[in-house]
Amino acid sequence: MLDTFEKIIRRISDWFEWIGLAAMLLMMAITCIDVVGAKVFQWRLFGAIDAVMLSQIVAIAFAAASVLILGRHIQVEFFISRLPKRVQAVIDSLVLLLGLGFFCLIIWQLCVLGYSFQTSGEQSATADIPYYPFAYAIALASIPVCLIFLLELIKSIGRITQK
Amino acid sequence: MNPVTAGIIGIGLLILLFLLRMPVAFAMALVGFAGFAFLTSPKAALTLLSRDIFDTFSSYPLSVIPMFIIMGTFAFASGISRRLYKTAYTWTGQLRGGLTIATVFACAGFGAICGSSTATAATMGHIALPEMKKYKYDDKLATGTVAAAGTLGILIPPSTVLLVYGILTEQSIGKLFVAGILPGIILSIFFAATVALLCWRKPSIGPPGDPTSWKEKLRATTGIIETLILFLLAIGGLFLGWFSPTQAGAIGAGGALLIGIGRRQLSWRAFFDSGKEGLRTSCMVIFIITGAIIFGHFMAVSRIPFVLADWLGGLPIPPMAVMSVIIFIYFIGGFFMDSMGLIVLTIPIFYPLVVKLGFDPIWFGVIIVLVGEMGVITPPVGVNVFVIKGIAPHVPLETIFKGIFPFLVALITMTILLMVYPQIATYLPNFITY
Repeated sequence: MLDTFEKIIRRISDWFEWIGLAAMLLMMAITCIDVVGAKVFQWRLFGAIDAVMLSQIVAIAFAAASVLILGRHIQVEFFISRLPKRVQAVIDSLVLLLGLGFFCLIIWQLCVLGYSFQTSGEQSATADIPYYPFAYAIALASIPVCLIFLLELIKSIGRITQK
Repeated sequence: MNPVTAGIIGIGLLILLFLLRMPVAFAMALVGFAGFAFLTSPKAALTLLSRDIFDTFSSYPLSVIPMFIIMGTFAFASGISRRLYKTAYTWTGQLRGGLTIATVFACAGFGAICGSSTATAATMGHIALPEMKKYKYDDKLATGTVAAAGTLGILIPPSTVLLVYGILTEQSIGKLFVAGILPGIILSIFFAATVALLCWRKPSIGPPGDPTSWKEKLRATTGIIETLILFLLAIGGLFLGWFSPTQAGAIGAGGALLIGIGRRQLSWRAFFDSGKEGLRTSCMVIFIITGAIIFGHFMAVSRIPFVLADWLGGLPIPPMAVMSVIIFIYFIGGFFMDSMGLIVLTIPIFYPLVVKLGFDPIWFGVIIVLVGEMGVITPPVGVNVFVIKGIAPHVPLETIFKGIFPFLVALITMTILLMVYPQIATYLPNFITY
């Protein structure tokens, strides 16, 4: 059961990472086209800065779950690793619970922000691209992050109860 | 409760969460959010949380980070690092300790197109360590050199740490980058001199490689052309004001990609893998900046940075003594935290003080990068050492840490030199307007 749950989360995170990669490559492509256009052909790509900014939201938000799964976030390891395994599991559970709660809060608040953008009609400065889908996108991309915290929390509690 | 007391408790809580292995980015965001809620109102903190996340993720100045990071990963995937090492090896390989000297200069060269010390150490470690093993180089010398020389990646432009410092302190990225050039060159020479000295004292640790003819040397020199082109195009364009930092990074990344395609070195798999690698690092860095920004808001309402600046600024001791204390704090902090985490955590606290004391912010950026470099090679959290351990699993961690020591002396010497002669970092930025 837990294995299936883990496989599903990993697959979702993997798909999301591909979306993030596409957005990051788009950032690069837009910037290069804009620079070459401006320097060589005296032509600017309309809304290039807006597109880069909004692509960056997608790139970073959608890579978050994979980065968490791969343990790429900077952590201070030297203290916990010296403690007994069961104490480590108890501490991990507390930290994961905090992380889960915090990201649930973030999802909720990003939905609130998205709704406020939607009702106020807030848009990007040049290309008039509405902001609200991007606030919702960060919230959506944070769901697998919460699921990873939940999965790790269940595993960690399992380690506490293990004899 | 007094805001300053709340701020001090917040910093204590943050350190506790770090020790409990919560990722640095999340811990800073969580404590920053909770502290801001306590000192203002929960409603204001909730609004700030989502707004900070949205604004940071969509920040155009921050888009420079993914661009320079993928420039480095694409350069690696395009085989540029391998050709760079071959050039350095052909020129110095026949000298005593020549392979390690080649590693130092190849790291410096790769540092000119890659902004990460870990990536530089990992890249050159994969290439140089097998060569040094083949020529029976001492493990301590070989691994210590790669781990230490890898740190040149964050000093020689482009540098992710200088980028983040520049964004957080609103300093010119171009000036910060150019400020790292002379210290980077001098430090490379110091590292090479350290190797030469070690091999002079004990020749068996670095036996000379096969001699090469002048013809071979000249032919191998073409290996640096791509690095030179990329550096001149991206970093040169930035210095000359042709490109904004983001544009310079994107052009560099595009250039590295074209080199890989042109040389038929970049398969689809390598392209996607290096892209994903760049994305993951960028995501980690932008998350940590987001955490630092949220934490910075808490620090601002707690007034700790200003109280600290007033208190230390009013002490009857010379500013350089205060600076020495700050550097010592960074040095000790580096033992326990990654340089990026340490810098984003401490900048909101120390930066106002540094400015109040009248120090040049560009010079300070270079100084903390140098001290941060010490952090990535010293125990217990020497990230570069763990990277090298991953590449050379047969070498005990203790041996690698022992191998680091002479290079740590070189780094400390460089830091002192920069404190005595700040012009080493501040001279070149005078010529940059961007």
